[in-house]
Amino acid sequence: MSVESKKILRIALAGNPNSGKTTLFNALTGAHHKVGNYPGVTVEKREGSRFRAGREYRFIDLPGIYSLTAYSMDEVVTRDFLLDERPDLIIDVLDSTNLERHLYLCLQFQELGIPVVGALNMSDEADAKGIRVDEKALSAILGVPMTKTVGTHGGGVDALLDLADTVADSLSETIPDAEAAGLFKMSAGTGGPRRSILYGAELEERLGPLEKVLSGDAAFCARFPARWLAVKLLEKDAHAYEALKTHSDFAVAEQLAKEAVLWVERHYRKDAEIVVSEQRYGYIRGAVKEAVSIVRKPDFSVTEMIDKVIMNRFLALPIFVAVLWGVFQTTFVLGEYPMAWLEAFFSWLGGGFQELIPAGFLRSLVVDGIIGGVGGVFSFVPLIVILFFLLSLMEDVGYMSRAAFATDKFLHSFGLHGQSIFPMMLGFGCSVPAIMAARTLKSPRDRIVTILVIPFMSCGAKLPIYVLLSAAFFPEHAANMVMSMYAIGVSMSLISAFLLKKTILRGDPTPFVMELPPYRAPTLRGLMWHVGEKSWLYIKKAGTVILAASLLIWVVTTFPRYESTDAERVVAMKSILLENPVLDETALAARLGTVNAERNLEYSIAGRLGRIIEPIFSPLGFDWKIGVAVITGFAAKETVVSTLGVLYRVGQESDSADENLRSALRADPGLNPLKGFVLMLFMLLIPPCFATLATIRAELGFQWLAFTFVWLFGLGWGLSFLVYRIGMLVGY
Amino acid sequence: MFVSDAPVGASFKILRVTFGKEVGRRLADMGFTEGAEGVVIRSGFLRGPLQVRIRGYDILIRRNEAAGIEIEPIGNWKPMGTRFRRGRFGNFGRHGMGIHGGVE
Repeated sequence: MSVESKKILRIALAGNPNSGKTTLFNALTGAHHKVGNYPGVTVEKREGSRFRAGREYRFIDLPGIYSLTAYSMDEVVTRDFLLDERPDLIIDVLDSTNLERHLYLCLQFQELGIPVVGALNMSDEADAKGIRVDEKALSAILGVPMTKTVGTHGGGVDALLDLADTVADSLSETIPDAEAAGLFKMSAGTGGPRRSILYGAELEERLGPLEKVLSGDAAFCARFPARWLAVKLLEKDAHAYEALKTHSDFAVAEQLAKEAVLWVERHYRKDAEIVVSEQRYGYIRGAVKEAVSIVRKPDFSVTEMIDKVIMNRFLALPIFVAVLWGVFQTTFVLGEYPMAWLEAFFSWLGGGFQELIPAGFLRSLVVDGIIGGVGGVFSFVPLIVILFFLLSLMEDVGYMSRAAFATDKFLHSFGLHGQSIFPMMLGFGCSVPAIMAARTLKSPRDRIVTILVIPFMSCGAKLPIYVLLSAAFFPEHAANMVMSMYAIGVSMSLISAFLLKKTILRGDPTPFVMELPPYRAPTLRGLMWHVGEKSWLYIKKAGTVILAASLLIWVVTTFPRYESTDAERVVAMKSILLENPVLDETALAARLGTVNAERNLEYSIAGRLGRIIEPIFSPLGFDWKIGVAVITGFAAKETVVSTLGVLYRVGQESDSADENLRSALRADPGLNPLKGFVLMLFMLLIPPCFATLATIRAELGFQWLAFTFVWLFGLGWGLSFLVYRIGMLVGY
Repeated sequence: MFVSDAPVGASFKILRVTFGKEVGRRLADMGFTEGAEGVVIRSGFLRGPLQVRIRGYDILIRRNEAAGIEIEPIGNWKPMGTRFRRGRFGNFGRHGMGIHGGVE
């Protein structure tokens, strides 16, 4: 080992999806990791480190990709990270049971001029399947040092780090011993001993001169390795041609590249990029033939047996629906208990502060504003954790791609993608994690469409609104009315997706090309990791946004304060007693309190705002009270119910099961069954809560947020208006 | 003959990917290149996606994509009727044209 060897090694962990990369990352880094985002994009970035023999290994877990093109955000992130950050080493994680395809990416890493080390992962599985990999031979042929690993129990991790040491130290070249020098030559991007024939004599003949011209500009090559760029230019990569513009000999190089492409396409009668990938696969074929022997025919029997049922052409969709139903049932049944505990905890906390702080603004701020608002969100956390656990389980087992298979045909006819299904289903729970889950969609257009239709999936917070209004206005058919709201939501999401794909998001359908991994037993550690990570993102986001929103709502519903005169109080008391002469003292005080709260609300900013925006709602048959409820609903949709409770003078503690609130709604001369239905429809379709809007902004940017807002409001208002007017015409 | 013509269980050898641009590129990256051999494992309901085994792993592709992969049969199987291929639900309908390289 050299004296001046690097104390810190920056290692990028890269590879295909389903290569066990994340498991290996966990095995390498243990508990030392942090999660963030790559700058400017929402692709998650995991970093972790390990200390060994006085050296720090800093690992960056890159997204799983199949190729280094610019097809998906993940690929762009990986490419930019490797080009801009230039880590000391790339560890390419390869699935030993599926080497042919996994090596395809390895060859592309090699061209970047960054030393590559291969981790032949899942080697235990390969052994069991009768796949014998001769890693020495493979290393020699490809020029990439490789070693076997088992990510699930950390097998081979030390050998992998040893190999990383050898490669890194041979690069610092103070004492290059023979073996290290050999490794250096193999892995330093020269592409290995047989590199000169990787793409075949004919292509190499075109690549050679191009590389030579590119190498003329040393500063340029420090940023874009000549070999890599030459191949990319031949592949007609738009990014490569863009990058070429900064080259000192731009015109010559571009001319040469275009001639090469033209020659290849004439000669092979195929697109140049396809010729390039065929050459790569041809080269890999040769390497695998020499280094990998298959002692038994590949055995797909277990996976095949399960898939015979799960993916049966008639059963696949019903099974998927049943699985989803099971997931939601489990979530809500299991989640009920911790949710109740958390609610109890927050009301205990609120009660505690109620006693500690003297009555007044501060108490109201702490108890109603902060604890009430944040507590409301945190009591959803158990639900989210359980839902994420079940969905991660399905993902780790390999069910996700089966679900996409089952639903793609149906969703595709509406312009969605098989992979849209999970984000959309998550939307029934909460839109925030659902929108974040849409990251799995590779094409930006599919991702945007999916995110835009998620608000139509009635989230858990909208359910109390439906329950209240259905029970109030349609006591005979309450359950059906609630179901119909869900159905309308789903239909609107499909129609919207269809319209969006036909108009502003028009384009060629994105291909549905998706790996179907074999079923794999999940590891508890991996699952916990996924769940912890996703839940924390939710808690952080919802916690901050909801806290701010609750405070804002508290302010607009509290100020300016209305001070009732003694005379008014007497009048109010008299009118209450006139209605209910038998009320005892506490009941009377409660009614008075509600009257006060209602006056306050009417007098507050929210009340005035409700009056100002009343003209927007009056064509739908609503008065200012609904306007106020809509405003408070932006904090969280479940507040609509408690707001209505205040407005209809039945007390702040109302919930959807409150018979008083139901009868109060029913008794309001300004409301009737038609209006009740329109109100539900309106609440279903109008823009979602702040937390969701903030998430849309974070994921898609302000323009799409504005679009979503206008689209949802326009659709919600327009449809409600139509239903109301037509309903009136036909005599409801 | 194309992958979309192959019935479930049919083995084939790939001649060429006729799509250009993004789709062809993606298929080639996933291993659909000249000379590679594959089997159709199953097909989704109502002409849903196909499950194809290639290079030792399984992949799902839509019929749109399958219709751009030209093959020759291995073993003795007959292509499925072509009556749907250009029909109302066809692979070269309104979606197919946009991405198809025009080579047939």
